[in-house]
Amino acid sequence: MTWKFLFCGLALLLFQFVLGQNDSIVRLQEVVVSDSKLRKFSDAQQVVFLNDSILLKNNGSFTNLLLLHSTIYFKENGAGMVASPSFRGTTAQQTAVIWNGININSQLNGQTDFNTINATDFNSIGIRSGGGSVLYGSGAVGGSIHLNNLLMFNTEIEHEFRSNYGSFNTLGLNYNVKGGSEKWAFQVGITRNSSDNDYEYIGRNRKNENGEYYNQSLNFSAGYKINENNFLKFYSLLFDGERHFSGTITVTSKNKYQDFTTRNMLEWVSFRNKFTSKLKLAYLTEEYNYFENKDNPFFTFGKVNTLLGRYDLSIKVSEKIDLNSVFDISQNQGEGSDIESKKRTIGSGSLVWKHQLSEKWNYELGIRNEISDRYESPLLFSAGTRLNLNDFYTIKFNASKNYRIPTFNDLYWQGSGNAELKPEHALQAEIGQEFNYKNTKLTVTGYYVKLRDMLRWIPNSSGLWQPQNTDKVTVYGLETLLENKLTFGNHHFSLNASYAYTISERDDLKKQLIYVPIHKANGSLAYSYQKITAYFQTLFNGEVFTSSDNFYSLDSYHFSTIGVDYDFGKKNTYRLGFQVLNLENTNYQNVASRPMPGRHFQVYLTLNLK
Amino acid sequence: MNFKKLSILAIAAGLFITSCSDDDQKEKSLGDYDNGLLILNQGNFGGGNSSISFWSDDLLTFQLNAFSAVNPSIELGDTGQDIGFLNEKAFVVMNNSNSIQVINRYTLQHITTISSGLSNPRNITFSNGKGYVTNWGSGMNPNDDYIAVINLTNYTVISSIPVVEGPEKIIEHNDNLYVAHQGGFGFGETISVINTTNNTVSNTINVGYVPNSMFISNNTLYVLSGGLPSWSGNESGGKLSKINLSTNNVASSLDFGSTQHPSNLVEEDGQLYYTIDSDVYKASITTTSLPTTPIFSTTAQGVYGVYSFTVEDNKIYVGDAVDYNSNGKIYIYSLNGSLIDQQTVGVIPAGFYFND
Repeated sequence: MTWKFLFCGLALLLFQFVLGQNDSIVRLQEVVVSDSKLRKFSDAQQVVFLNDSILLKNNGSFTNLLLLHSTIYFKENGAGMVASPSFRGTTAQQTAVIWNGININSQLNGQTDFNTINATDFNSIGIRSGGGSVLYGSGAVGGSIHLNNLLMFNTEIEHEFRSNYGSFNTLGLNYNVKGGSEKWAFQVGITRNSSDNDYEYIGRNRKNENGEYYNQSLNFSAGYKINENNFLKFYSLLFDGERHFSGTITVTSKNKYQDFTTRNMLEWVSFRNKFTSKLKLAYLTEEYNYFENKDNPFFTFGKVNTLLGRYDLSIKVSEKIDLNSVFDISQNQGEGSDIESKKRTIGSGSLVWKHQLSEKWNYELGIRNEISDRYESPLLFSAGTRLNLNDFYTIKFNASKNYRIPTFNDLYWQGSGNAELKPEHALQAEIGQEFNYKNTKLTVTGYYVKLRDMLRWIPNSSGLWQPQNTDKVTVYGLETLLENKLTFGNHHFSLNASYAYTISERDDLKKQLIYVPIHKANGSLAYSYQKITAYFQTLFNGEVFTSSDNFYSLDSYHFSTIGVDYDFGKKNTYRLGFQVLNLENTNYQNVASRPMPGRHFQVYLTLNLK
Repeated sequence: MNFKKLSILAIAAGLFITSCSDDDQKEKSLGDYDNGLLILNQGNFGGGNSSISFWSDDLLTFQLNAFSAVNPSIELGDTGQDIGFLNEKAFVVMNNSNSIQVINRYTLQHITTISSGLSNPRNITFSNGKGYVTNWGSGMNPNDDYIAVINLTNYTVISSIPVVEGPEKIIEHNDNLYVAHQGGFGFGETISVINTTNNTVSNTINVGYVPNSMFISNNTLYVLSGGLPSWSGNESGGKLSKINLSTNNVASSLDFGSTQHPSNLVEEDGQLYYTIDSDVYKASITTTSLPTTPIFSTTAQGVYGVYSFTVEDNKIYVGDAVDYNSNGKIYIYSLNGSLIDQQTVGVIPAGFYFND
């Protein structure tokens, strides 16, 4: 299969020198964004971008941002601690996080901890629901979250300074500068967050002990125009964080955990007639240190370095047909105190086809195959279609096969790793309907997923815990999104709401998976009048089960954020705001035995200078 | 308080009772939980969901979460490891909470909590009017393990006795403590002997790797070692060591097959019992060879590795942790392995303690 792809790719390469015509709009998009597939090949699925006004109201926690503005559920081990997403009732490993087009989920545990990413490091955040392994590889099963840095040539230099300070000595600082000339485009950001995080456990006369954290991140992206047809781009992201893992109601913790990640990518974009080629070279490192007792020098660690090369060629076959082929090869080198030192190499080839049948109707087809020196991967596919029946109604259908590869911990944990593991895989289908009326948009998506060979760590008869491809899980559910914008003179209103109904059951038990709420809803209402903005955001999180027999559960809860800000600036922005988080002072636990903060406050100041 | 009142209390606390009766109380009952079995459910590490279940001797009354029913405002804690009885008190060792809950063993009324001086506490015993608790210290540090000495009048840790890594089971005999070094994060192979008149380690006895259970009978210490597990990369079989307590020398030892890793050694009426994976074995304590066939296997009940085990009054008790996340199961068998009864208990049943 792989050879077929290689052959295809070669054929496409040859074509490149034969055909020809430019398309400047397409070209611009390709230069501005590194992950252009997100817009180009996601017509049959739902992609939501978090807009600037949402991003500006979020201070600090990326986890809270997504909780309040998407259907994704998070399991957060106490405020600010490890936060694992669950998208459409799947696992954290089945939610892919894509940084400027490449997958950055941890090679060690397969997931991304959303408290080790700062939203301020990106100027475009997209959420793509449903399967996407053909485009984004391992982990894009429940959906994917896209973190992008857009590069603009020919723009004025713009400085942005953001700060927030609030309860529990929580401080956030962020500085961003971007700009571009004819030849250059750049964007630099630096962020620092810290908190004592010693909130009261409501009604318990004690505080969240040992929960303090800090992190700092630096991002840098730059683009250089070699000539009309060739661009070089460079992206870099560094994150360094330290958290004391907080205790629980019954445990006083002394743990400390450090994360250090670097992500660097060089990209060469080249246009030739109908062809756009992109060559990417990326080097990613991840490392953790875990101190059982922060006062002792003893710690365990794990680290993985990843080298990735990718060749991406897209061709405008005709006005109506786009074809895209991607080949990539990556090598992971892992080591750690608890894993065997191993190297693994994965190569893959994929081909995506999009055909605009008419102005209102298109379809997409995709296929991907992967080879690895460690395991066998299934052949993946995707097929989708979108039909705009009229201005009011659009219908989308999509089916795909997706997968998630075993992690270094699964494969090589000393003594208990299982080198025989296969990837988890999922067959899924969805139907989405979109209703538009004036400034109101309603989307209703139903989906069905069959997960197979799900990994779970289970003890064997002598008590040794090992991961096995044991579980079969069926997930189905409904996602509803409502967007509304209203304007009366100078009064602007915007309303967003979402509701997710999720049934995710192991086939053998017929019980809901633990930590997957059947109901989750959120809503936000923003009002602005001239220089003043007021907003209200609210979340309802349904009951979750904490044991696989569904005997134990955590109660449902809801909480809201309310805030107001005022812009003192004229040409520039000087925005001063105040917000109350967990307005209701709800005493809730997101993970058993770990109470979350009650009502707390924050002031923020944003300066925007041109 | 009779069981009717208790059940009302339990329901009010949102808890769970499967059955109750008020006509079967024994004449000399010392409390609602006298004449029955306490099951310590470990709960999940970090989950704070440790619990105590109760099952009466006549098997007619069962309560899933007895401690919470009696003490609705007190959490038992995280990762219950062991219960030690002394007179009318029970000392419940909470490993991850680094604490000991002192309760009345017959009423389960909470008395106090010992919460300082303990670091990764494991098991408890008593000698010379004091409590002795094995502590791993920081799991990653092999050199900070100790036995905490507890004043039983004011419930404080008054001193500690440093020992080698991974002290686990601890038993008392004639003013001596015998501490099995199962090994903690590593693999131990010794028994420390501690004289409780001066609280010092007086002797070290070499046994097999990973000593996990022991008992004393006729001035002989019987130690069962599991051997090195396969994942250690250097697998070895288990060993049963018999130690003469007059000399502290190993009088004899019996080796298991190189891939056999026995555990759960107990003694009842001159017989010793232990388990390998899901199978239960029995031999005379004077045996000079190991039985080759089990008396029965628990696989018929779906038990996947015996998690906790004991033998009492001609009945064999087996705890099954199921998937280590759901409520566990306990099974009661006759001595020849026929199933007498079973019960769903709390998460990860870790030990059986008889209030008789």
